[in-house]
Amino acid sequence: MRAKAVYRALLYFYPAAFRHEYGDQMLYMFAEQLGDARRSGGQLSQARLWLRAALDALVIAPQEHWHVIAQDLSYALRTMAASVRFTVFAVLSLALGIGANIAIFGLWNGVLHAPLPGVQKPEQLVMLSDPDTPGMWTGRWIGRTDGDRQRLTYSEFEQLRDNASVFSSLMASQSNFDTWRARYGNGEWEQVKGRLVSGGYFQVLGVTPVIGRAFTAADDQGDAPYAVLSYNYWQRRFGGRPEVLGQTLTIRTTLLTIIGVAPRRFFGETSGQQPDLWIPLRMQPALMPGQDWLHDKGPEKTMWLNVFGRLNPGVTQAQAEAQSNALFQAGLETFYGNNLSPERRRDVLDQHLRIRSAARGASDVRTQFAASLTTMLAAVGVLLLIACANLANLLLARGAARRPEMALRLSLGASHGRLIRQMITESLTLAVLGGLAGLVAAVFLHAALARLMAGNNPDFHMSFSLDPLVVAFAFASTLASALLFGLLPAWQATKTDAGESLKDLGRSASASRGRMRWGRFLVSMQLALSLPLLVGAGLLTRTAYNLQRVDLGYPTANLLLVRIGTREGGYDALRRQRLFEELLSEFQRNPAIRTASFSLLGVFSGGNSALEIQVEGDVAKSDNDRGSAVDTVGPGYFSTLGVPMVLGREILESDHAGAPRVCVINEAFAKQFFQDRNPIGRHITAMEERSKTTCQVVGVAKDARTQNLRGRIEPRFYMPAMQPPSDIVNPIFLIRPVTASAPALAVVREAIQRADTSIPILESATMEEQLAPLTAQDRAIAQLAAAFGAVAILLAAVGLYGVLSYGIARRRSEIAIRIALGARPRAVIAMILRETSGVILTGLALGAGLAYVASRWITSQLYGVAPQDPLTLMLSAAMLVAVALGATYLPAQQAARLEPMAALRE
Amino acid sequence: MSDPKPDALLPLPTAVFHILIALADRDRHGYSIMQDVSTRTGGKTQLSAGTLYSSIRRMLEQGLIEELADSPDPSSSDERRRYYRLSRFGKRVAAAEVERLNMLVRQARATGLVTGA
Repeated sequence: MRAKAVYRALLYFYPAAFRHEYGDQMLYMFAEQLGDARRSGGQLSQARLWLRAALDALVIAPQEHWHVIAQDLSYALRTMAASVRFTVFAVLSLALGIGANIAIFGLWNGVLHAPLPGVQKPEQLVMLSDPDTPGMWTGRWIGRTDGDRQRLTYSEFEQLRDNASVFSSLMASQSNFDTWRARYGNGEWEQVKGRLVSGGYFQVLGVTPVIGRAFTAADDQGDAPYAVLSYNYWQRRFGGRPEVLGQTLTIRTTLLTIIGVAPRRFFGETSGQQPDLWIPLRMQPALMPGQDWLHDKGPEKTMWLNVFGRLNPGVTQAQAEAQSNALFQAGLETFYGNNLSPERRRDVLDQHLRIRSAARGASDVRTQFAASLTTMLAAVGVLLLIACANLANLLLARGAARRPEMALRLSLGASHGRLIRQMITESLTLAVLGGLAGLVAAVFLHAALARLMAGNNPDFHMSFSLDPLVVAFAFASTLASALLFGLLPAWQATKTDAGESLKDLGRSASASRGRMRWGRFLVSMQLALSLPLLVGAGLLTRTAYNLQRVDLGYPTANLLLVRIGTREGGYDALRRQRLFEELLSEFQRNPAIRTASFSLLGVFSGGNSALEIQVEGDVAKSDNDRGSAVDTVGPGYFSTLGVPMVLGREILESDHAGAPRVCVINEAFAKQFFQDRNPIGRHITAMEERSKTTCQVVGVAKDARTQNLRGRIEPRFYMPAMQPPSDIVNPIFLIRPVTASAPALAVVREAIQRADTSIPILESATMEEQLAPLTAQDRAIAQLAAAFGAVAILLAAVGLYGVLSYGIARRRSEIAIRIALGARPRAVIAMILRETSGVILTGLALGAGLAYVASRWITSQLYGVAPQDPLTLMLSAAMLVAVALGATYLPAQQAARLEPMAALRE
Repeated sequence: MSDPKPDALLPLPTAVFHILIALADRDRHGYSIMQDVSTRTGGKTQLSAGTLYSSIRRMLEQGLIEELADSPDPSSSDERRRYYRLSRFGKRVAAAEVERLNMLVRQARATGLVTGA
C-alpha cells in the first residue's frame, strides 16, 4: 500500500492531463510488476523497478510536459494566425508598452543603480569624496550643513595615498569634466573632453589598455606629458589605427604624447559621461597657466579632486574611515597651524572624510535625474497596466466568441485547468512576441529618452546596455503583462460547462452579462489609471510653462552675453582693467549698442561664488550667517541688466582703483544681515584670498534671479570689478543692443577685434539661448508626460468603445423592440449614455483619488503650481469625460439608427 | 489523423515497434504488452510504466493503435483495464518499418558486412 502511495506521488511529475488519462493504468501496471518482482524474490529487481520509476519521472515526465506545451503553442500560433488584426494590434501595443518600460528602466538603472561599466569588481570600489556633486571649491571654509568634505586637494590626496595603510590602492580624478582646445601635429584646433587623473587611476579601476600603456605611479612623481585615449574617441577620431601611439597633441601650449587606449566598455569613474582622453594630474599647472592646484599654499585650499580606492582585505569601512580621518585631521592641523582664533579653529577642523561605496561611480546627474526618472518609470508602468487592461478587454470579447469552442473541448474531455493553461499559453505567446519587439523598440526609445533627458547637459551620454537587471526586468514585465491581460479572460472563457455546448452560447444571457460586467470594470480601471497620468502631464506642463515665464527681475529680451578670454593675450591684472575700460567705451561709442557692462559670473552661467564675510553691526548666529554669495561687476551693471535700485546708487565708473571701496547688496542680503536697519553707509568685510577687504554699502538692488530659476533668491553682494583685489580673467559682457540680437554679435565681435585681435570669444549667447537649457529637462518631461497621458486616454477610449459596441451588438433585438415600440433615437442614445455614466463616474472617482495620491510624489518637480491644483484636476477630468463620451456616442448613434425589422429578423 | 504517410513516422522508436508487435496477435492491456515484450526478448527489454504509457499516448495520437471501448474479456480480468488494438494504419507502419529493416539487413549482407542465416 505504501508502495502505491509513493508511486502515486511520482505520478505528479507528469502533466495533469496525462496523469488523469493514464495514471491509474500506470499504477496497476507498476503494482503487478512489483508483485512479479517480489514473487521472483529479488530485492535487486524490486530496487531496479523503483529506479526505473524514478527515472521515468525525471525523463519521461518532462517529455510529456514539453509535448503539452508544444501542443498548446502550436494551437496558440494557429489561433493568432487566424486573427491577424488582433495579433498585430496586441503585439504592437505590448511592444510599445513593454519597450517604453524597458527603455526607462534601462535609463533608471544606468543612472541610479548600475555598477560602473568596464571596471573590475566595482562593488569593492570606495570613494572618499561625495559622488553626487561635481565641481570645485576654492576658499576658506564657510557655512556648511554637515562636516562632510565633498572634495579633496591634491596634497590631501597625496598624504592619504602615501600614508593610509587601510587602502590597497588609491587614486584621484578631477571632479570637473573639462573641455580643452587641442590639435594633433599641425592640424586644426578642435575640442576634446577629458579629465586629469592620478597615476594610479587605471590600476585602481582594474582597467588594462587595449593598446599601449596606462599611467603608472611614476606619472605622479614628476612631469608626465602623456594622454590615454578612450576607445570610442580612438575609433571616432583615428579610425582605430594603432599608429596613434606615440603621436603628439597640443593643448594650449603643452605637448602631450599618446601612450595608450582604454578598453571599449570603459568610460571612466563618472557614470553618464564619455571622456575623449585622460591626462595625468601633474600636468595641471601646464594646462592651466598661472594656477597651481597641486600644492596647498595657504591660506586657501583648492578642493577639486574625487578620490577613489580599494580597501585592503579584512579592513572595514569604519576602520578605513577612522584612519583616513586621523591623517586628514593631522593634515588640517599642519595646514592651518596655530594662528587661528579658537572659534575659527574649531570650525576648520570640523571637517570629515566619509567613505562610501563607489560601485556606481561618481555622477553629476544622479540627484538631478532621480526624481524625474522614478516618476517616468511609474508613469510608464501605469501605461502598461492600461494597455494590459485594453488587451484583457479584447480577449474577453474574443473569449465570449470562443465559448462554443471551449464547451466543445470540455465535452470532449478536456479539463478546465487544461483550457486555462491553453489560454495562458496564448497570452504568454503574445506577450513574448510583444516583449521581444519591445526589446528592439527599447533600444531606440532609450536613445531618444537619453537625448531628451540630457537636455541642458551635453556631456551626458548613456547607451543602452542589457545588463542582468534590465534583462530580468524585461522578462518580469513580459510575464506580468501576460498574466495581467490573460488570466481574467482565460478564467471567464472557460467558465462554461460541457452541457452548454448545444445551446447558443454566444447569445446566452449569463455569458454576455459576465463579459459585460468585467468589461465595464476594466474600462473603469483604465479611466481611473488615465486620470493621474493626465493630471501629472498637466502639472508638469504648467511647471515647464511657469519656468519659462519666471520673473527674473529684469527684461530678458535683447540681452547678449559674451564671455571673452584674456589669458591667451598674456594680460596681467592692470592691463586687464585697461582692456575692460577700452572695451566698454568701444561699446558705448557704437550706435548699435544701447548699454554694456560685465561681471565675473554673468547670468545663468552655471557658476557661483561665495565669500566669508563680517557685516558691521551684525552678530553671526550660525555658520550660514558668515557667508554670502558674491559677484564682481563692472560699472553700469545694474542699469544694463535692468535691475532697479531700491536704495542708494549702483556701481559706477567712478568706483575705480583710487576711489573708496564700495559695494552693492541685494534685498535678500539687506533682509538677512541688516534686518530693518538702513544698510547704506555700513561696512562689509570680505575674507578674500590672502586679504580682508572692507567696503561700504552704497546701494541696495532689487532682488533678481541671476543664477537659479527655482528656489529662493540668495543674499548676494556685488563688488566693483575696477577696484582691487578684483581680477576677472574671463569676464562675461552683458550687452543690450538697440535692436535684434543676431547682428549685434557681429558688432561686438568687431569691437573686441579692434581692441585686441588676440582676444578669443569663449562663449556667446542671447539671453533666450542661455535660459533654454535650464528648462529643457522640464519641458522634455512635460512633453513625455503629455504623450503618456494622450496614449493612456486613447487606450481607455478604445476600451470603452469596444465594450459598448459589444454590449449594443448583444442587445440589438432589445433596442430594436424599443424603437419598434416608438422610442426615439434620442431616447436610445440617452439610455446608453445613462448606462455608461456609471462606468465613467466610477473611473473618475477612483482616478481622482489616485491622482491626489500620485501628485504628492511629484511635488518636488513642480514649480508655480500646487500638486493638488484644482484647475489642472478639473481640466484633466473634463478631458477624460469628453473622450469617454465621444467613445460612447459612436456606438450609441449606431444603435439609435437600428432598423427594427432588420434587427429582429436576424 | 487522416491518412498520413507511414514513412513519415520511420524509423520507429524501439518501444513503439515492440508494442506494435505485441498487439499483432491480439488486443492487450498495458501490463500484458509489457509481459509479451519481456517474454519475446527473453527479459532483455522491460518496458516501464512511464515509457509504455508515454508511447501509447503518442501512438494513439498518431493513429497507430486504438483503444477498445469495452474489455474484450469481461469475465477474466477487471474492467478497469484499458485494452489497445493495432489499427490498419498501425499495420501499414509496422510493415513499412519491417521493410526498412529488411533492406538494411540485405544491404549489410550484400556488402559483406555480415554473413548469416
